Amino acid sequence: MNEQRNTAAGTIPIISVRNVTAGYGDEIIIQDVSFDVFEGEIFSILGRSGCGKTTLFKVMTGLLEPVEGTVLIDGEEICCGESAQTGAVLKKVGVTFQSGALFTSMTLAENAAFPLRLHTRLPADTIEQIVRLKLSEVGLAGFEELLPAELSGGMQKRAALARAMALDPKILFFDEPSAGLDPVTSATLDETILKINKSLGTTMVIVTHELASILRTADRVIMLDREEKTIIAQGSPQELREKSDDPRVRDFFNRSASEPDLSLKR
Amino acid sequence: MISTNLPEENPNNTGTTSHSRAGSSADAELRLGPLGFALDIHEKTFDELSLVLRGRLWVENAEEVRGALMRAVEQEPLKNVVVDLSQIDYIDSSGAAVLMELYRKCRAMNNVLKLARAGPSVQRFLDLVDFDHFKDKPILRPRAAPPLLVQIGGGAERIYRTVQDIITFLGAASIALYEDLRHPRQVKWDPLWKLIERSGSDAVPIVAILSFLMGAILAFQAAIQLRKFGANIFVADLVSVSICLEMGPLLAAIIVAGRSGAAYAAHIGTMQVTEEVDALRLMGVDPIRFLVSPRIVAVGLALPCLTIFADIVGIFGGCVVSVFALDLTPITYFNQVGRVLEVSDVLKGLIKSFAYGVEIAAIGCLRGFQVRGGAESVGQATTSAVVTSVFVLTVTDAVFAMFYHYTRFL
Repeated sequence: MNEQRNTAAGTIPIISVRNVTAGYGDEIIIQDVSFDVFEGEIFSILGRSGCGKTTLFKVMTGLLEPVEGTVLIDGEEICCGESAQTGAVLKKVGVTFQSGALFTSMTLAENAAFPLRLHTRLPADTIEQIVRLKLSEVGLAGFEELLPAELSGGMQKRAALARAMALDPKILFFDEPSAGLDPVTSATLDETILKINKSLGTTMVIVTHELASILRTADRVIMLDREEKTIIAQGSPQELREKSDDPRVRDFFNRSASEPDLSLKR
Repeated sequence: MISTNLPEENPNNTGTTSHSRAGSSADAELRLGPLGFALDIHEKTFDELSLVLRGRLWVENAEEVRGALMRAVEQEPLKNVVVDLSQIDYIDSSGAAVLMELYRKCRAMNNVLKLARAGPSVQRFLDLVDFDHFKDKPILRPRAAPPLLVQIGGGAERIYRTVQDIITFLGAASIALYEDLRHPRQVKWDPLWKLIERSGSDAVPIVAILSFLMGAILAFQAAIQLRKFGANIFVADLVSVSICLEMGPLLAAIIVAGRSGAAYAAHIGTMQVTEEVDALRLMGVDPIRFLVSPRIVAVGLALPCLTIFADIVGIFGGCVVSVFALDLTPITYFNQVGRVLEVSDVLKGLIKSFAYGVEIAAIGCLRGFQVRGGAESVGQATTSAVVTSVFVLTVTDAVFAMFYHYTRFL
């Protein structure tokens, strides 16, 4: 399955992360990280809690300015600030946040229509059709008029995905898509992600530590480490699980703890 | 090939539209318009309208494609409409939405729409579309207002709930304060000092500026009138008594309502949203005793202090105007203040301001606890905390005025 999709994924880098060093204040979280994400692939950023996954995610989406290095999306450099927010780069990118971040005062339909109303001049009827289409793609047909508070966690995540997909972005970012979801809901979300990747060719960047979902969805992964502050392994998840000699990678994929947990000693 | 009048009808239509009978071979010459699409219209058989779409069908040209397709279908009332998609290079959601609208349009006209010869990428996209689901009611229109009777009923229910909330809250707050009085050792003093600092001393600069100006304005307005009668010296009477009895307490209270009352509503409201209040409850901590009674005590203590400060600065503001506009000396001004202002006037103001403080904190906390849902509700609670406080302050002021007058209190 994964092999087959690997061939479908292109070999043109759509995201290039070049020598990125980032952190908060004086604290450096990731140091000199470089990698490429290719068009059409599902790319996962793995690692244990506190390894800088979310920091890297924020840098890649332009929410956090790196201390050094650049991120190119589709050949264009992203940076922080007002101009980038409205820039063309962000229209190529859809982001779903860990908590969903739906606007609580709007219905699902209004949430999904928000980016369309903001960035396109489509007539109201067309926007309505797109919203229906997007919500039915994520399995929420019939729930259009509910408020986010009236939904379960899994439905909120899917609604957030519908909103992120509204402008047909080339790249979708997910921050911990399965956090707080039960295994079945989480698997449904994985299937939705695979379906969208397959039918629309959308490049997906997923930040996660959910083993089952990594093995099911990801074409290629990188693994970050807290002590080294950089990438300690990359490749397909199957490869890493079976062939890696790095104990940290083996522990991650076997859900074991052979090393004493340094994070608790601090 | 028959050229149509479509482009003239819609000058914005910069795609290419051509119209031809079956057998025409002219379409090969047609190029894509600047919007990257073209629509060729053929009548294949007597009841079939064939539309060949070429180029890109996406968000940048969806409006124009939609217009062209709709006009084509409307102008030829034929039973079968076939849209040939074999020459579409790229389609996105807005393109799919346009096809969906065309589908609905055809159905409304009792036509049959067929999407034919879609390439693999287009087909994969169309597979995601559930064409038959979309017969439902509109989803993005503002909801119609419910019938009048339902609205009245809903309003009455809300009022009932609010009254219930208020009574429950007042009961719980009274119990919590009573418990604090009975066991003063259990009271956590550190957070209480912090709260007093936030609501009291942090408000000193703004209270100083506003009460100085208020005293100055009162003196100025009085001076204009009193000068006509040569009664300049009575400015001191007017400023000192009205500041101590009314303006000082009220001004300080309104500032504190805007600062601390709003802050308490937002703080507790957000805690409610993030389930922090539930967490407190489950750890065996009474949220009212933990959150509300220290705030009531803090503002109840801080506001009278702010009021004394406001009184002094306000009287001083009156003095400055009197000296510059009325040729009084500071000594005559303050002598007159000392003669006319009684300790009871100041005390009356301070008792009022203690009541104001208790009310402001209680209302802020109550509104915070009434938050349900998310960010919007927190905003409403904060607004409501300030508006309700100002209303209740004014009513309390009226009650105290009558009480002082009829009971000859102090």
